[in-house]
Amino acid sequence: MRSVFYLLDTAPYGSEKAFGLLNAAAVSLGKMEVTVGLYGDGAYLALGDQDSRALAIPNLADILRAYGEMKVIVHEPSVVERGLFSEGLVETVELVDEEAFLEAMEGSDCLITL
Amino acid sequence: MKTLTIILTDGPYISEYAQIAKKIAEAALKRYQVNIFLYLDAVHIPRKGQKPAFFADEGGLFADLAREGAVIRACSRCAAARGYLAEEDGSSQDYPDGIKITSLYDLPVMIQGSDGVITLCR
Repeated sequence: MRSVFYLLDTAPYGSEKAFGLLNAAAVSLGKMEVTVGLYGDGAYLALGDQDSRALAIPNLADILRAYGEMKVIVHEPSVVERGLFSEGLVETVELVDEEAFLEAMEGSDCLITL
Repeated sequence: MKTLTIILTDGPYISEYAQIAKKIAEAALKRYQVNIFLYLDAVHIPRKGQKPAFFADEGGLFADLAREGAVIRACSRCAAARGYLAEEDGSSQDYPDGIKITSLYDLPVMIQGSDGVITLCR
């Protein structure tokens, strides 16, 4: 496998899934072509102004920023459906339409969803 | 020989994925190398001494898989968070022989060397 697509379709907090997915994607950098795709409730991970201090959980937006070389795409319809379009997104996240999102998934050798 | 990697994230019994993984891996081992990576709550699956009243002992199922040649590795961060400690060689007194607690860095190595990857999670 030369490329891997990590798909997140659950909200960033409330379970360990988003944190686990970001860690798995981070350790894959440099070994394979890595894309993180945010879909459905996973789109909330793209929000730039996250504050997780009350949850005693790492700020996942800061993790995205720390791995600026990681390709992160967010499904635009998911963003729009959740009323997030006018919110500021993490600077490294790319907003893509449905077609581009599916192309990125299909173009990867391996799809992993946690 | 081709290689199959199976990634699990659920703990035992909350879903059928551990048993499904066991069936897939057992069939695949007849022809392929099989890796299993235990991530998040899946690090509970191989724990020794499980005695479920109404289900198969999933720790025992995975001990069988390790004996049959599957490479089974658990994420060290996830394992430590849940109270499983590894010896220097990755073995753990909580796990059957052959199942090791190693680094998350083993996951991309497994994926990179695989011809197929199956993720089983809810």
